[in-house]
Amino acid sequence: MTQLLQALVLGLLIGGVYALMASGLALIFGVMRIINIAQGALLILVAMFTWWMWRETGIDPILASVVTTPLMFGFGWILYRTVISRIRDQSASMSVLLTFGFALVVEGVLNVVAGNRFRSATPFYFAESFTVGPISLPKTQVYGFVAAVLVLAALYLVLTRTWTGRAIRATSQNPSGAALVGVGAAGTAALAFALGTATTGVGGSILSVLYPFFPASHYDWISRLLGIVVLGGMGSLPGAMVGALILGLAETLTATYGGLRWSTLVFYLVIMLVLLFRPQGLFGAKLREDAA
Amino acid sequence: MTASSSARSLAPSGTRSNTPRRHRRILNLTAVAAVGVMVLAACGTKPSDKAAAAAPTKPLVVGISLPLTGDFSQPGGEAKRGYEVWKSMVNAKGGVLGRQVELKITDDASNQDTVVSDYTKLITQDKVDLVLGTFSSLLNYPASAVAEKNAMVFVEPAGGAPKMFDRGFKFLFFAQPATAPHQADVFVDWIKSLPESERPKTAAYPSQDDPFAAPVIQSMQKQLEALGVKTVFSSLYPADTTNFQTIASAMASKKPDLIAQGAVFEDGVGLVRSLKQLNYSPKILFQTSAPGNASQYSDAVGMANTEGVFYTVSWNEKAKTPLNPEFVAAYAKAYAGAIPAEDAADAFAAAQILQAATTAVGSVDQTKIRDWLHANAPQTILGPLSWEATGAPKGQFLLAQWQSGKVDVVGPADAATTTTVVNPKPGWK
Repeated sequence: MTQLLQALVLGLLIGGVYALMASGLALIFGVMRIINIAQGALLILVAMFTWWMWRETGIDPILASVVTTPLMFGFGWILYRTVISRIRDQSASMSVLLTFGFALVVEGVLNVVAGNRFRSATPFYFAESFTVGPISLPKTQVYGFVAAVLVLAALYLVLTRTWTGRAIRATSQNPSGAALVGVGAAGTAALAFALGTATTGVGGSILSVLYPFFPASHYDWISRLLGIVVLGGMGSLPGAMVGALILGLAETLTATYGGLRWSTLVFYLVIMLVLLFRPQGLFGAKLREDAA
Repeated sequence: MTASSSARSLAPSGTRSNTPRRHRRILNLTAVAAVGVMVLAACGTKPSDKAAAAAPTKPLVVGISLPLTGDFSQPGGEAKRGYEVWKSMVNAKGGVLGRQVELKITDDASNQDTVVSDYTKLITQDKVDLVLGTFSSLLNYPASAVAEKNAMVFVEPAGGAPKMFDRGFKFLFFAQPATAPHQADVFVDWIKSLPESERPKTAAYPSQDDPFAAPVIQSMQKQLEALGVKTVFSSLYPADTTNFQTIASAMASKKPDLIAQGAVFEDGVGLVRSLKQLNYSPKILFQTSAPGNASQYSDAVGMANTEGVFYTVSWNEKAKTPLNPEFVAAYAKAYAGAIPAEDAADAFAAAQILQAATTAVGSVDQTKIRDWLHANAPQTILGPLSWEATGAPKGQFLLAQWQSGKVDVVGPADAATTTTVVNPKPGWK
């Protein structure tokens, strides 16, 4: 029982962080049909920057997201305006090429500037735990989870309670309809991209504490995030969250009961099974274009 | 698992390579160093070009393909430095066979197909005099086949997966003291040296499913079981495992005296952190290669938590082997005071082996070089190396241990840099 509880709680904590990391990817795809392969590289970029700030100033890496999030918002906005917007009317596959290229650029720059070595922010609590009865909860994982939940809640509020958010959602649901009622497509897209990129500000900061990383770590992360988004339904934020929780739980439950060797495989089996019956993913909406 | 199938299965996961010896300590100023390399290369080639033009003899060209970009770029870059330092040191003493050495290094981008076409081109079109190996079993596996087909001696600095050596190759030589299944022998010997009452009673063996890490741990488990150490946990986990809390709590509940982990890097760090979060500290902790990553390891787990951690390694910068201090000094001079990574040392040793054989036979006759290597034990900075007919080395790794924030060699006795062994490991700090 303790074992099960421990696995469930850990899975939830891990999944929460995954959810935050995947949310930006889902948002960007939802609004613009852009598959942002660079999301993983941006996470690593932020993790590296956070690590550097932590080392230089001693600022708590997770709190550092107060700095990195607005920075990444601005970075995302500029990136969209200067680079991504040029392929706005092209197919999604073009966005894969472009953002993959950008990911390689980020990796290369990090290699040269920061060096090809592992980093990991280790604030004083990095190897401590909270103990609740028989269950032990690593502090880093708990703090990361709390930060992820806060950001996801804020994202939810922005998307549902502000005009900008409503414009983003409207564009995501029906671009031409949104345009008809006066939502500027280009501006909305830039904002959505910036918002999606801003989530890496917190995601990367958490990553820097939880997992050792080096410039090429982004391949691992983007494959995990794409898995989550595909399972949840491309472009669906609730889908990304459910997908992330399933991944977290699949990891811990399989490791506890099914054998370590299967722990990362099971998640992909779940994806395949889900796609067999729901090709659009758990929460994905079938588009009229898809049927045609 | 075959090396090639594991190679394929590892390829998509990308960054997690099958090479424990990657991601060694690196300069903080890689950019500066990179420029340094270029400047050095420029300075290095120009005088020798002039010398070559003036001298009656052609330079001796050594063809090498290395993963300078892609997954293995880090160790690949270190191997390149090892080769370059060797070249400068050799050329300063008149070269090999009276000819200045020239390295023809191409980038295989950590790709198996590219490495094959690289070596094919080097051997058949560029007609290089000699070849040296590339980095990792993943790349050396196909590359050595090209060399074998063309009857070129292939001394490779990093590629100790067992499958490398069961193909009946005649021209293959591995320039490290032992293949993966024998890399922990020196640790087992140390356990054997303990009085029976002090030996661990129980042991846990988690390992990444990696062609380097897993055979080390599996072979250790077999040997320790024969000594009467009870196995309470043994499991492989996939290379893309990132969360180790579950593994750690499963192990901690069994309370093993010894935890021996086949750890590449992140997994080694992850497990130590998780064990500490659970506040379970085994009496003895062994990890295959993660602790060999110097400050990258101590930064990630916390310096205080490195105390007493064991690992095995092919080379140590403090070793008193012939030419080792000179190599360390030349490397530091070339690369802004850096300490060579093990990958650089292994590459240097590979070049030394080829140099010794070429000098001894007095020509670049590949068959003669091969036969000489099988009959002799050339001296290297890793110590003398000799080989089975398969190209697998017959030597022993060094047993290293973190002590007071530094790494010391504690075994075998003749190579030890200290007689102190931290045992049992102190608790986490």
